[in-house]
Amino acid sequence: MLRATLRSFFAHKGRLLLSAMAIILSVAFVAGSLIFSDTVGRTFDRLFASTSADVQVQPKKDVDEQIPSGITRTVPASLAGRIGKVDGVSKAWVDASVENITIVDSHNKNVGPTSGAPTIATNWYLTDRSPVKLTSGHEPHGAGEALLDKDTADKKKVRIGDSLTVLARPGSFTVRVVGIATFTTTNPGAALVFLDTPTAQTKLLGRADEATAISVEAAKGVDDKVLKQRIATEIGGGYELKTAAEQAKDSAASLGGFLDVIKYVMLGFAGIAVLVGIFLIVNTFSMLIAQRTRELGLLRALGADRRQVQRSVRIEALLLGAIGSTLGLAAGIGLAYGLIALMGTFGMNLSAAEIVIGWGTPVASYLVGVGVTFVAAYLPARRAAQVSPMAALSDAEVAGVGRPLRVRAVVGSVLAAAGAAALAGCAASTKTATSSSLLGLGVVLTLIATVVAGPLLVRPVIRVLGGAFPRVFGSVGRMSQRNALRNPRRTGATASALMVGLALVVGMSVASASMTKSFDQQIDRVLGADYIVQNSNFTPFPEEITGKIRGVEGVGTVVRQRFVPLQLRLPDGRRTDTTAAGYDPQLDDVAHLSYSDGSTAEALASGHVAMDRDYAHDHGLKLGSTVRVAFPGGATAVLTLSALTDMDSSGGPGAEAGMFMGLATAEKYLPDGQDAVVYVNAASGVDQQTLRTALEKALASYPQVKVNNQADYKKIVSDQIAVLLYLVYALLGLAIVIAVLGVVNTLALSVVERTREIGLLRAIGLSRVQLRRMIRLESVVIAVFGALLGLALGMVWGVAMQQVLALQGLKAFAVPWSTVVAVVVGSVVVGLAAAVLPALRASRMNVLTAIAHE
Amino acid sequence: MAARARGLTKAYGSGETTVLALDSVDVDIARGRFTAVMGPSGSGKSTLMHCLAGLDTVSAGQVWLDETEITGMRDRELTRLRRDRIGFMFQAFNLLPTLTAAENITLPMDIAGRKPDQKWLDQVIDTLGLRDRLKHRPAQLSGGQQQRVACARALASRPELIFADEPTGNLDSRAGAEVLSFLRDAVDQLDQTVVMVTHDPGAAGHSDLVLFLADGRIVDEMAEPTADLVLERMKRFDPAHKS
Repeated sequence: MLRATLRSFFAHKGRLLLSAMAIILSVAFVAGSLIFSDTVGRTFDRLFASTSADVQVQPKKDVDEQIPSGITRTVPASLAGRIGKVDGVSKAWVDASVENITIVDSHNKNVGPTSGAPTIATNWYLTDRSPVKLTSGHEPHGAGEALLDKDTADKKKVRIGDSLTVLARPGSFTVRVVGIATFTTTNPGAALVFLDTPTAQTKLLGRADEATAISVEAAKGVDDKVLKQRIATEIGGGYELKTAAEQAKDSAASLGGFLDVIKYVMLGFAGIAVLVGIFLIVNTFSMLIAQRTRELGLLRALGADRRQVQRSVRIEALLLGAIGSTLGLAAGIGLAYGLIALMGTFGMNLSAAEIVIGWGTPVASYLVGVGVTFVAAYLPARRAAQVSPMAALSDAEVAGVGRPLRVRAVVGSVLAAAGAAALAGCAASTKTATSSSLLGLGVVLTLIATVVAGPLLVRPVIRVLGGAFPRVFGSVGRMSQRNALRNPRRTGATASALMVGLALVVGMSVASASMTKSFDQQIDRVLGADYIVQNSNFTPFPEEITGKIRGVEGVGTVVRQRFVPLQLRLPDGRRTDTTAAGYDPQLDDVAHLSYSDGSTAEALASGHVAMDRDYAHDHGLKLGSTVRVAFPGGATAVLTLSALTDMDSSGGPGAEAGMFMGLATAEKYLPDGQDAVVYVNAASGVDQQTLRTALEKALASYPQVKVNNQADYKKIVSDQIAVLLYLVYALLGLAIVIAVLGVVNTLALSVVERTREIGLLRAIGLSRVQLRRMIRLESVVIAVFGALLGLALGMVWGVAMQQVLALQGLKAFAVPWSTVVAVVVGSVVVGLAAAVLPALRASRMNVLTAIAHE
Repeated sequence: MAARARGLTKAYGSGETTVLALDSVDVDIARGRFTAVMGPSGSGKSTLMHCLAGLDTVSAGQVWLDETEITGMRDRELTRLRRDRIGFMFQAFNLLPTLTAAENITLPMDIAGRKPDQKWLDQVIDTLGLRDRLKHRPAQLSGGQQQRVACARALASRPELIFADEPTGNLDSRAGAEVLSFLRDAVDQLDQTVVMVTHDPGAAGHSDLVLFLADGRIVDEMAEPTADLVLERMKRFDPAHKS
């Protein structure tokens, strides 16, 4: 029996090829993401472990800055002296390092990385743990000298002797590059500038007696933990003390977020590949078994029992899964190399890293590959076992065609009803959490319902879709339409593969179009400023820039906005880290806020604060309530709630409660913050375009900020939403590739099944061109059917998602018609592309052998 | 002549292993007649039909349909020739399962994008007694009815020549006799030309002329055949064949 199974497997290897492709793709993404994150994780673990000081004294962690305020927390530099005297300390030194700066060259070009990695300015203090060493020039001495890291110098063509301007919070200053420092370890992609310690303290922190941390080297034989304890005793509380291991863990955690994103994206790809691949595998095995009905019947007639037949099909599936997984694992290693190379283009130089393949990688790969294949082949295997020995003798029509779809109808309807109920519940719900979990449930249920009921929809939908075929394409059109209708299960499953991806993308497109429209409407409604000056990723910038803006001729009202991270201490005892905004008093000139109680003037008055009405109501706060807050650095305040806003969206991620206050109030408790946004109105009688030109000229040496009008601002917002969409499009691309493989697979097997029919058609005069057209049309009708199912499902999902967004204040609804049209047109192209090879194969068939084909 | 061949040779394989399926055959198919091609299996009778019908290429020799030489034609021309000028009936699997009887009958003309001659079509359908079966799918028809539909399709475009390859091979004797009498009627009443390949002496008995093939050569012919005479003649092949 095993021999028969193996023979059959190798006899059908060509037909299993496309299924194997789907397995390879899914496994490659699983393996690739695991290998990549293991490799990068290990590389950075090593880097952090080897470069961390034995003990580091950091500012106390209190309020989590979800949106950066631009302040730099410090500790007194004098601590270094005290710590140096602690028993077991070999030496203690001052760290003065900031990340929220910009460095420009003499042409006002940003020298820092554009990938989002930080630009770091720090004091030059070389130890044996430093990740860099001086490779040319000399160490920086005095206010005017600096080192630059080699990678950045090479990339931005900076040489020793060139001038750089450092735009730091206390003010910008110019330095001359006197040396180049080269990474001795992996470069995580940052740009580094080194200054001597006093310069770093005065120019970066603004205070000669402060430090961002004190690093400590332990004497030989002194344990980090013991030393940490001793230092804590010496300096008392109010500081955060970390051993080398703890620092490495912190660093890994902060990098982990970024790596996790990549990991989840990759696993998303793997998931899509698995989901779509299952359809392909189910279909392949169903078709192979249908074709082998007589062969299986013969086996049964010769005495093989049901279990043996079933087992033989399962062994075939296991073999396919094992081979696919092995190849997928290999492809995954390649993918990981590719990703690492890609990281290189973002400045993260991992070329020296060794590929790490943890034991989990092969386990996960084979689990996914073999598991998916086995599960997908489960039903076809059962069906194979049900082939009766009589099948060997009869001239039976291919099995599975005529079986009633009643069970599918019942299961599909029940699931669809449940899914619809969940989505309706999602739309009706007023709580975001309930609504989104109902959305998830509804999406899953309706997806399964559509897959189950797909074959039932084949007849009515394709009748209509292909209804014009006979008239337009004559008998070729009629035959292609009927062929697509011939086996609704097969057509349904093939189309489902396409449907999944399209439903996803349509749903996401509807949601993102609605988001974009909502934001546009909000911007139109709320924003009143002529120009908005800000950093493209909303990070704060030095006050020097605001000063420049004020000095521009023709500038009227200028309103600054700062972010104020704070901890809200609610009356019910809960504490929430959130972010408030601080504004200048003329806020009404640049924004149209709507209040249910109070006014801008009251909100911005000293010691007062405004809050979103609903949030206040939900947390037991009323107009006039006292609001207790704590700020980073330990300051606390009792503010008076003097205005309640009534806007669709106040707050958002990281800024729950939608609080804002006067900038003066904010500065009182959180000094040294930086401006995040500056709203500018033209003075009366000043032409807007003239003002823009003047502003841009004045800000030319500050490349980190841009002057935006309302249209620019809308574009920035929609571009940020679009990033998400691009990811969805990439996922869709993969889903389509696999779905196309599915259509190719179905068509190719159908062509083989219909060999005699094709022979007959050719004998009675169907030309090759017509034959190819027939197969193309069938392919197109299947693809368009899948696209329509996907569109319908995606629209339903999109409407439901929009309802969830509406709870966040994003109330507008928009249908991205261009995407809808593109999906339909695209599906026709997909159909045509998928038909190329099967059609070629059919038209190359020898007429005589086709007629004689058994 | 509806069709003729001169020096028609078909060889399979090459060198030592060459097998001659047809060995320099000369044949003439008279217009308006019912010609049967008989011979034991392996005699080359199906190959002869395939070559005459432009389904197969020849190794040597020439084939004409009417005055058109078809040897050397390209696939495109041959396809058009089969579509417009030749009708086919096969032993089995004659019809497309997705099309109704009526759609199967007009398929060659539909493929060509021509309108069928409705009067002729009605006559064919009535002669074959298919009027009340037109909306049926092949699966809903008996074997005999399916072959009648195939026969109607072969006749529908009023081709110059109809090739029938063992048209009764899969039918019981009653249904087979029915199909044969329709082919006979097609020649007598509708003035068609039919070439039928068969190994059944009873079927050959319905024809006007029987050509006997053995080892790739035409070895005999018999005009005005009857089933008994054909059977007698066939018996003489047996010893030779066995040796």
